[in-house]
Amino acid sequence: MRFVIIGAGRVGLRTARVLREEDHDVTLVERDRDRVARARADGFDVVEGDGSHEHVLEAADVATADALGALTSDLNANFAACMIGKHHGCRTILRIDEDYREEIYRKYAAEVDEIVYPERLGAIVAKNALLGGSIQAIADVAQNLQVLLITVTEASPMRGYSIEEVELPAQTRLLAFGKADEPMRVPLPDDSLEEGDRVAVLADYEVLDDVRQLLVGERVPATAGGE
Amino acid sequence: MVVAYIMVKANTGEADRLKGDISAIDGVTRAHIVAGDFDLVARVEADTTAEIKDIVATNLQSIAGVEDTQTYIAMD
Repeated sequence: MRFVIIGAGRVGLRTARVLREEDHDVTLVERDRDRVARARADGFDVVEGDGSHEHVLEAADVATADALGALTSDLNANFAACMIGKHHGCRTILRIDEDYREEIYRKYAAEVDEIVYPERLGAIVAKNALLGGSIQAIADVAQNLQVLLITVTEASPMRGYSIEEVELPAQTRLLAFGKADEPMRVPLPDDSLEEGDRVAVLADYEVLDDVRQLLVGERVPATAGGE
Repeated sequence: MVVAYIMVKANTGEADRLKGDISAIDGVTRAHIVAGDFDLVARVEADTTAEIKDIVATNLQSIAGVEDTQTYIAMD
């Protein structure tokens, strides 16, 4: 696929690298001369100019792009770029600068297909690093839904059971399973859970503690009215 | 009569509620949710600039979820 990325800073350039690694065609748009030079030295096709201007995005051939990522730290420029991108038929991705704005742009910005708040993902990674251990939050799917990657430990109550036998709390789905030394795959009912195996689980925030208790066996603080 | 445009920076995603609360203020003739560094723009009408200041400082800024405002007095 072909992408136009506005902003060759820490978010835009990194995104461009990931896309290139997956063999996609990326054109960067950047107005800062030093950043332009850096991205070109990195082998990228870069259009120098302000990505909130139509003639600049036309120079980046926005009309033939499948999607446009407006990933600068300037919200106004990002929004303008999305409006132009939408006009040219692109899918548009807007980087926001404050998390409360996610709701506003989802609801009102018809020119924007997806919203990215990089700090949210950064916080998840930092939290995982701080907590360490056998439970990792992979993504917040929605405000109340999280995908967790859980490693079966010696203390896991479910260790030794098959997937069929494990009764997960309501509002939870088992998404994927991987033996200790194998890649993740679709879980089968008779897969047995041994130490070091991993399961990916989609869970509602309300039942996260139950999931943790069942799969990891950590003691969790008693909730008011709990048993 | 004095007309002013007030740029409102929010700190909440409840844009609808903010728009409703701002629109309900005496003197506010229009309010829009906008994209960019500010989240809403309100148009205010009053007899004097002192009244505009009162409307903004007393009523608008006391709404929960309003973080900051900037007032532009129309000159034409």
